[in-house]
Amino acid sequence: MSDNKLNVAIVGCGAIAYEHLPFVATTPLARLAAVCDTSPALAAAAGERFGAGVIHTDVAAMLADTKPDIVHVLTPPHTHDAIVRQSLAAGAHVLCEKPMTGTERETADLLAAADGAGRRLVESRNLLFNDSILTLRRMIAEGKFGRVTECDVLLSLDFLAGPFGDRNLMGTVDLPGGAIHDFMPHLVYVFQMLTGASDACEVRGFLQNRTDNPRAGFDHLDTLIDDGVVRGRLRVATDAYPEAFRVVLRGTEGTAEIDLYNPYLRYDAAPNVGKRAPFGQVANGRKLARAGWVNLRNKIMQHGTMHGLPRMIEAIYRAILDGTPMPITPAEMLATARLCDRLVALGAPR
Amino acid sequence: MKVLVTGAGGFLGRAVVAAVARAGHQVVAMVRPVSAGRGALPPGVVELSGDLRQRGPWSGAIGDVDAVVHCAAAFGDLPSQLAGTVLATENLLAALPLALRRIVHVSSLSVYDFDAPKLSGALDEATPLETAPLRRDAYTQTKLIQERLVRDYAAAKGTDLVVVRPGAIYGPGKDWDAGTGLKAGRFDLVFAPLARMRLIHVDNCAEAIVAALAAPLDGPLTVNLIDPEQPSHWRYHALAKRAGVPTGLAVPVPYIFVLALGGAARMASKLFFRGRARLPELLDPPRQRVRWRPLNYPNIRARSALGWTPRVGLQEGVSTLALPDRR
Repeated sequence: MSDNKLNVAIVGCGAIAYEHLPFVATTPLARLAAVCDTSPALAAAAGERFGAGVIHTDVAAMLADTKPDIVHVLTPPHTHDAIVRQSLAAGAHVLCEKPMTGTERETADLLAAADGAGRRLVESRNLLFNDSILTLRRMIAEGKFGRVTECDVLLSLDFLAGPFGDRNLMGTVDLPGGAIHDFMPHLVYVFQMLTGASDACEVRGFLQNRTDNPRAGFDHLDTLIDDGVVRGRLRVATDAYPEAFRVVLRGTEGTAEIDLYNPYLRYDAAPNVGKRAPFGQVANGRKLARAGWVNLRNKIMQHGTMHGLPRMIEAIYRAILDGTPMPITPAEMLATARLCDRLVALGAPR
Repeated sequence: MKVLVTGAGGFLGRAVVAAVARAGHQVVAMVRPVSAGRGALPPGVVELSGDLRQRGPWSGAIGDVDAVVHCAAAFGDLPSQLAGTVLATENLLAALPLALRRIVHVSSLSVYDFDAPKLSGALDEATPLETAPLRRDAYTQTKLIQERLVRDYAAAKGTDLVVVRPGAIYGPGKDWDAGTGLKAGRFDLVFAPLARMRLIHVDNCAEAIVAALAAPLDGPLTVNLIDPEQPSHWRYHALAKRAGVPTGLAVPVPYIFVLALGGAARMASKLFFRGRARLPELLDPPRQRVRWRPLNYPNIRARSALGWTPRVGLQEGVSTLALPDRR
């Protein structure tokens, strides 16, 4: 670290790197020290575009050469473990894309490695920093829902149309939960953050392959979760249109619905219920109309689903620079990995 | 000569495979696994199944080819094109045999700086390349990287190289919306109606590529491929309509209006969106100029260096537009 700026290295120059790099290359908190990819062309393309100090194709050489303060691990999930360990051993903090590992055990092992190295390790959970999730969290804190009792999360996305389902590519998605596993942490941490659900919950449902696409492994998740205080339903579907990432939060005093792909928030609560319900409907209609305009503005401004990512990275950088707690704690990461394990177990042959 | 053709399942690739085989060469046609085994290749052509985005058994099965025609490229968003154009090319180059004698690389006119020629001037091989690709689209960005990869490889290995940069390739199943800039109900808004289209018929393009396999070279050669008849957008729309392409009522939108729209959009972006708005091609001045700026497109070098004579004329070519795709 020099000039109170973090030296940042990016490992993996694929699609997600193009979400991280615009912030890293411009924030006053950091300096883009290096980019690294096993493909020289992809490393060079990202490095030249975002002005990286050096461009590497070998992680070990990059770590020795640039001695970064923090490494963003943005490679495919099955490669995370080795790169995270290498980075920690080289004295770097690590921000790893989700899913960081395939199981809670592996997550615990990596966190222990970070602890042993005296470095911070954090798994990305960018959706927690999106406008609508931040609004829901504020409303919960203000008591707008009373006691939160239910949370449903639905991701409707034809991810089989991309690399996860591309039958031209060899092999399968290398995660215990198949292609679903790549999205699963998002649903789980959103559910856990909004409900505060405990580990002692009952999990029922299905993790299936409904399309016979061998590459995807699993392409459908539908599950009910109940810890006795709060309950919810987590779903991932590839065959429902239009695309949506919908969260419905219900409590003893009110209900709200958001969509992370479209910026609307519909809130029903007293006094506009019962005989005053028509007023509530008019108010919600007005909010929907306004959401249409906001949606258009967001499209034009490229304020998309990933807009929470720069906020998350900034919060992580500030925590490192100030020596304050990370915005995402090891306990939260373990809880998410634990519930993911239980969802993956639903796909085991019966 | 034994020739590997990549992207052999694509619109241009299929025509190239047929033309190279007709010219008497042995052809190894590389197609993606999902398209493989459909028996759509000409007799005698060897099919090689593989996806260039991943190294795999295909790389060992290329064998002792003498030349490669690299047609494979991707469309879509930036990640798709980084994988399907850049990574794919890197993987291909790593798998080519040491004894390879020639590469014919299919690039694109999109790599040029379309602002460089004066208005109504010539865009040819001497025109500078785009120096600010970020103001353009992912296609331009990745085709520039791809071309550089191929050039670096050929220079390092001493391999003969012909880079062909085709214009808008048209033919059965690919009509470029009959030259329409925007469809609005039953109206076709024909932008820059007097500006020329840089068309090349798919068969002419394939035959030029065959010529490039045998052209005498003094060093790396770059040629633009455009048919000699370059119709205006307006005329092309009329010809396509006559050929049976579904079209609406043509409404001309002069180039100056197109630019005014783009200027207004850019000003609105600056005033209301701090200049951060990502405008669609229709309203984005740099990309508007690429598509509609009045220029002309000589093909002198392609004719002289390749000995290429376009066989399919405009009238005949347009008459094939409404025919089913040859796939």
